[in-house]
Amino acid sequence: MNVNAAMAETKQDQSKAEPWLDSPECGALYADHARFVFYLALRMLGDEAQAEDATHDVFLKAFRKIGLFRGESNVRTWLYRITINHCQNCLRKWHNRNILSNADDAVWETTAAQTDSPLRVLENKELGHRIQTALDGLPAEYRLLLLLVADEQLSYEQVGVLTEQSPDAVRGKLHRARKAFTVLFEQTA
Amino acid sequence: MQRQTKLNSEEQAQAQQQTGAQQTQQPAVREFATPEEMLRHDALHTPVPPTVAHRLRESIAKEPPHAPSWWRRLLGGSKP
Repeated sequence: MNVNAAMAETKQDQSKAEPWLDSPECGALYADHARFVFYLALRMLGDEAQAEDATHDVFLKAFRKIGLFRGESNVRTWLYRITINHCQNCLRKWHNRNILSNADDAVWETTAAQTDSPLRVLENKELGHRIQTALDGLPAEYRLLLLLVADEQLSYEQVGVLTEQSPDAVRGKLHRARKAFTVLFEQTA
Repeated sequence: MQRQTKLNSEEQAQAQQQTGAQQTQQPAVREFATPEEMLRHDALHTPVPPTVAHRLRESIAKEPPHAPSWWRRLLGGSKP
């Protein structure tokens, strides 16, 4: 292959290479899903700077692999899968979370809490901090379950796929996760 | 009697003003039926920092262009 032909081909390939974020496809992907990816990363990692890094890394990975996305699953589910894997890897490396991850369910079962009563909060900047404190106290599985179920775009089936369990198991654990969160959230008052 | 009524209405207005001022000072109390509802509210009020898109753009600019596939190079090499 002569040098000129190689250079011409490289140039052609460069022009074909996606300008990614400026391409309509990737721009729309970011615009539609960045808020959800960032929030999941923020509440999984509990740190805004780390969540920013994670969101950046997740979208960079997604843009690199967008050509491989076959549309067999929901785009949001695909992005959440990348986010969950990324955040779990970060957490494994840092070992700075999961303080109560081995807590027995009995802790929530024996604590008197009115799970049917509404959660009353003062709408101020403390809300995010209180939510984070409560989530940090939950087992990792419950935390992830609540965060995913909170996204109205995801069905129980999709949450089940993301957390590797059946939709029935999701429903069952969700009840316990809600109760545990309520107990912990009330303690943050 | 009329004067008394006027005084009462002034007092009422004053009381309403005070209550209004207290309400503006105190943050509103919100109720959420479930933790998910609270998380949705929190997510809605948690914007993505604009620095993320900026950093992403910079990282993308640094990405190497896709290398031509081996068969393309091979075919390209066979061209005169």
